[in-house]
Amino acid sequence: MSIDVSGLTKTFGDFVALDDVTVSLPTGQLTALLGPSGGGKSTLLRIIAGLDQADSGTVTIEGREATNLPARKRNVGFVFQHYAVFKHMSVAKNVAFGLEIRKRPRAEIDKRVAELLELVHLSQFRDRMPSQLSGGQRQRMALARALAVEPSVLLLDEPFGALDAKVRKELRDWLRRLHDEVHTTTIFVTHDQEEALEVADEIVVINDGRVEQVGSPDTLYDKPANDFVMRFLGETTDLAGQTVRPHDIDVSMSPGVLGSTAGTVTRILRVGFEVRVTVTTEDGSDVLVTMTRTLARNTGVEEGARVWLTTAKGATTVPVMAAV
Amino acid sequence: MASSQSTVVGVGSPALKWVLRLLVVGYLFFLVGWPSALIVRRTFEGGTQAFTDALGDPDVTHALQLSATIALFAVVINLLFGVGMSLLLVRYEFPGKRVLSALIDLPLAVSPIVVGLALILVYNPRYGWFGQTLDAHGIQVIFAKPGMIMATTFVALPLVIREVVPVLEDMGNDQEQAANSLGANAWQTFWRITLPGIKWAVVYGVVLSMARSLGEFGAVKVVAGNISGETTTAPVLVQQKYQNFEQQTAYAVSFMLVAAAVVCLIIVALLRPKDEKKGGATATAALKKENP
Repeated sequence: MSIDVSGLTKTFGDFVALDDVTVSLPTGQLTALLGPSGGGKSTLLRIIAGLDQADSGTVTIEGREATNLPARKRNVGFVFQHYAVFKHMSVAKNVAFGLEIRKRPRAEIDKRVAELLELVHLSQFRDRMPSQLSGGQRQRMALARALAVEPSVLLLDEPFGALDAKVRKELRDWLRRLHDEVHTTTIFVTHDQEEALEVADEIVVINDGRVEQVGSPDTLYDKPANDFVMRFLGETTDLAGQTVRPHDIDVSMSPGVLGSTAGTVTRILRVGFEVRVTVTTEDGSDVLVTMTRTLARNTGVEEGARVWLTTAKGATTVPVMAAV
Repeated sequence: MASSQSTVVGVGSPALKWVLRLLVVGYLFFLVGWPSALIVRRTFEGGTQAFTDALGDPDVTHALQLSATIALFAVVINLLFGVGMSLLLVRYEFPGKRVLSALIDLPLAVSPIVVGLALILVYNPRYGWFGQTLDAHGIQVIFAKPGMIMATTFVALPLVIREVVPVLEDMGNDQEQAANSLGANAWQTFWRITLPGIKWAVVYGVVLSMARSLGEFGAVKVVAGNISGETTTAPVLVQQKYQNFEQQTAYAVSFMLVAAAVVCLIIVALLRPKDEKKGGATATAALKKENP
């Protein structure tokens, strides 16, 4: 285990950002800290980096006690949401910063900078100033800068949050490929479940200053520990006291199956290939069902029709309000 | 209706525009332009004679040297304390921060004469609080250079801080944190990251302090005690010479003070906008090239 965090608590005035958090983050993997804004994930990352101090608890990095170690001695690379580029230095100077601080020989620095700029595809920009780069280029430069000092851990705080959707998607794929090349233990914070599911080997779901679940993307999706995790990882709806995904509900026009819930179709929305059907059940609650256009046509679902709903076989369900 | 209103507010009718322009030009002319121009005219009334005469007067050269020395010390002190204080005010939280911030503006609000009197009360060798102890150790503050430097420093105190604080706030501490996580210690971070970021604000503050320090009259006059040929600074000399009917010399020294101040302001004007424009323009041009 690369990073061990134990009993970490952090408050800002009355606000509890982290509440007795204990978690282990694996070596050599790409881990996502996923959760809603204000849930404490950035605070956790900043405490691991030494940029913030915890009120209590311990941090161990690669077996080394780091709780009271200043940021500059932790040998972690940190990438900020808003890049934090050194505005008055050229791209090459930015990347070389950590090495110059460590007083490495000039030739070695030049060689390493050239390698890193190659790695982040910025070689032709080495003499540019940061103000002459786009957002995505700046963030790649910041990554190269963090990697230059060969950190034992690379920490990224919402690294793509300030970029537009297209660039974000590109950088996300690129980060995954980069990690497969470099293998540095990497932890990144995100509130975007799609980003976490797509890129990470391991996801830590954090909410209200607590760890809700730790696991692989598949584990989290197929076996969510509670309805918070399930709701956060994608669209859900409630059927018969269970939280279930809208595409995991079978619609039948006759009450054939035992335990099915009767209701009336109150609204049908067709969005591209998908049909979104709202069914109002007899106890007055609305259930959202999604299906393909073809299936909707074959079933004969239409507004005002009486239908019976059952959860599809093998679907992931979680009891409503389990997380208390 | 709406459009006619917006014309008046936004662009202004031609007549109003001319009235306003005339008003501003007239105001500046009578208050600043004409009096300053008269100084220049009087100085060079008899050619450069008055000028060379004044420079030949040992009182004048001594006063100019003294003023320059005092201004230099005051600026260096205010530079070091100003940058340190700005960092303290922007980067750290501590009780009494708002009071401190308000205190920094005090020198702008208080009359310089009062500053001089206050310094005398503290450092006077006969009955001052510190003065007696210092005097016993052979250190003379009042009626000597240290007192004059203190008075000048006090008066010019807020100038560096008020320039640097907004730039530091604007810059944020992201870059400093990044430097930290890359292994830089506090001194390396300040020297390599913070200082380059606030460079122009510091230069601007220093030039303003320089201009202010060179021209300080009231506070310095009170603590200098006017030991002729010893503690007479250039502005004080101007007043003396004028009262002693050596008006040509007074005008010549005044001209030099005005010229020094104008040079300071021109330096600032040349330095600052050029730097901003250059950075912005090339950046936009480059972005256009890269992302068509």
